Amino acid sequence: MSAPSQTVSALRSLLAVRFPERARKAPCGVPAGVPALDDALGGGLPSGLLTELVSPVASGGGQTVVAGLLASTQASRQRVALIDGSDGFAPEAVPGDLLRHLVWVRCRSPEQAFAAADILVRDGNYAAVVLDLRGCAERALRRTPASTWYRLQRAAESGTVAFLVQTESPMVPAVPWRLVLGTPFSLADSDEPRADVAGRLAVRADRAHVQAPEEMAG
Amino acid sequence: MNYAFLTVPDFALHALRRSDPSLAGRACALVSGDGRKARVTEASPEARAVAPGLAATLAMSRCPGIILCQRDPAAEAEAHRLIIAAGFTLAPRVESTGSGCCTVDLRGADRARTESLMRLHAAELAAAGLPLRVGAGATPLLASYAARLAEPVLIVDDTGNFLAPLSLAFAQPTREQEGILAGWGIVTLGALTAIPKAEIGRRLGASGVLLWERAAGEATRVLRHVEPARSFSAEWSYEPPVESVEPLFFKLRRFAERVALELRGAGFVAEKLSLTLLLEDETDHRREFRLPEPGADVEGWLRVMNGHLSTVRTEARVAAVRLVASPARPPEKQDGLFDTGLRDPALFWENIARVAAIVGDDRVGTPAMVDTHRPDAFTMERPAEAVAPALQAPVHPPCGPALRRFRPPWPVRVDCGAGVPELVRGRLDGTVRAVRGPWLAEGEWWRPEAWAVETWLVEMRSGGVYQLARTRGGWCVEGMLD
Repeated sequence: MSAPSQTVSALRSLLAVRFPERARKAPCGVPAGVPALDDALGGGLPSGLLTELVSPVASGGGQTVVAGLLASTQASRQRVALIDGSDGFAPEAVPGDLLRHLVWVRCRSPEQAFAAADILVRDGNYAAVVLDLRGCAERALRRTPASTWYRLQRAAESGTVAFLVQTESPMVPAVPWRLVLGTPFSLADSDEPRADVAGRLAVRADRAHVQAPEEMAG
Repeated sequence: MNYAFLTVPDFALHALRRSDPSLAGRACALVSGDGRKARVTEASPEARAVAPGLAATLAMSRCPGIILCQRDPAAEAEAHRLIIAAGFTLAPRVESTGSGCCTVDLRGADRARTESLMRLHAAELAAAGLPLRVGAGATPLLASYAARLAEPVLIVDDTGNFLAPLSLAFAQPTREQEGILAGWGIVTLGALTAIPKAEIGRRLGASGVLLWERAAGEATRVLRHVEPARSFSAEWSYEPPVESVEPLFFKLRRFAERVALELRGAGFVAEKLSLTLLLEDETDHRREFRLPEPGADVEGWLRVMNGHLSTVRTEARVAAVRLVASPARPPEKQDGLFDTGLRDPALFWENIARVAAIVGDDRVGTPAMVDTHRPDAFTMERPAEAVAPALQAPVHPPCGPALRRFRPPWPVRVDCGAGVPELVRGRLDGTVRAVRGPWLAEGEWWRPEAWAVETWLVEMRSGGVYQLARTRGGWCVEGMLD
């Protein structure tokens, strides 16, 4: 191992000792109901962390992930908040049963979405909070100060909520987990059961800064 | 324990301090009279060496920095309404006995519950700037004696033992009576009542009998009941007008404390708050806050209003503020044994209200489908407190990727070949690779708002599966399968 990597490893060990709580939070989480996503994250959306899910292509599967999350949290009877930056959620796209544990915030601007997220991420009543910024003007999102993102990350870390941010391009600085949905759906997929469609989603881990506990400890 | 007496010592001074934040923690006193004749009537504990009856000039020399004020009738009226409201939470028969005090007819009330309520309200009003004292006894008079000695609640069960050591001054003898009784060696109520009432009557006449009855706590009277509040509102005029939010918050807190207590006394909670700021230029700023969870929680109300007021900018200074609470019956609910409830219901509803203040009341909630085939027809409902288990699996499980809507839909031009979309122009631009449809739907044709739509699914050559709709208004892209 080279000298810089040894230094980084030593630094991680030091952090693991200094912040054991953060190391504990990494692996457990809320299943997203999409196998590829859950596998990439080691079991589900990590609790107490921010996860960025990037959908760079049209029909990339971001809304199917939301539908999967609604199904999995309904099964475990947990509550979900969806902060919809561009008011794009279609209630008719999911069975009525999967809506009853959802709190949907229909925002008119990214500023409203950030303000709502800042409140709901700190609320201990939700298992997962989804901040969907797809469809928002990219210029407005790029103007978002980094401090806003750090504030949201710190808010998520102070609680147990699984915080998922959906974007069309990488947006969150220093994000612990960034996953990219790369394969667009085709029209033929519209006849398939949704569970099969979700099972075919491909997810690429673009960034994974959080270490497994054993790695951190070692 | 038939009657309770609620009073606040040095009421006028406390009422003034409660309405003026600049007096908090500072030496101050109330004076009456003008110029050299001005005398201190009530003094705060911080004003040491200043006592009632002292000349104002002497008070200023004994306590440098003391603030001398006149009584404020508006502040006293507001504080008195708070005490009356506290009385109504104990029992529905309340008399406004005097400024800063009231008598409550407790006959028939549950003793344990009433006593705990007395202690609760004494603590609440003390936190609100009014050190309430509550006495309870067999007669209104006895209750008032007890209130004068209460710290903060005193219930008299053994009347004789309670009255015996009290000073004769409690019975309010005339100066002449006081002199005669002092000559007999009688200085306490117990000593007076040890003499038979008839003997006192024979020596001091009818007024002596009344004095004896007051000393025995026997004097009773019919209470003149006041009507409970029917409207739950408060209003205050600022002189001079204010231009920052701090004085508003301070006054709103005082209003909220009183209005919430009035609501509780009447068995209501607030479902809606209406706030009006009357501006100096004779315009006003109005805002209604629909509380997601009806309640009478002062802190919750304040947080809801705080979220809004901190973002308000007005053209002119605020000359007056008015708060009106719309009453509703408290919600009753019974969750199932295995329901998954909220960890912190108060915080949940409070945060919902805060988010509603940002995005609008009608844009937060749980979506519920409307029984129609009209596209995108749903309502926003109040979120459930418990996450119920899923019902049986749907007969038609969802197929394909989930739809993500564009609101409002993107208007586009669509070129068709043989009735099938081939080319899309507009915000969505390109040629169509594959197409499904059409699906035809119409409804409410018997009404003016009749609708009809033709829906297509198209896969673009550039990628993406979109839902197109053709209505009377033309083509539009309703959303994307995502």
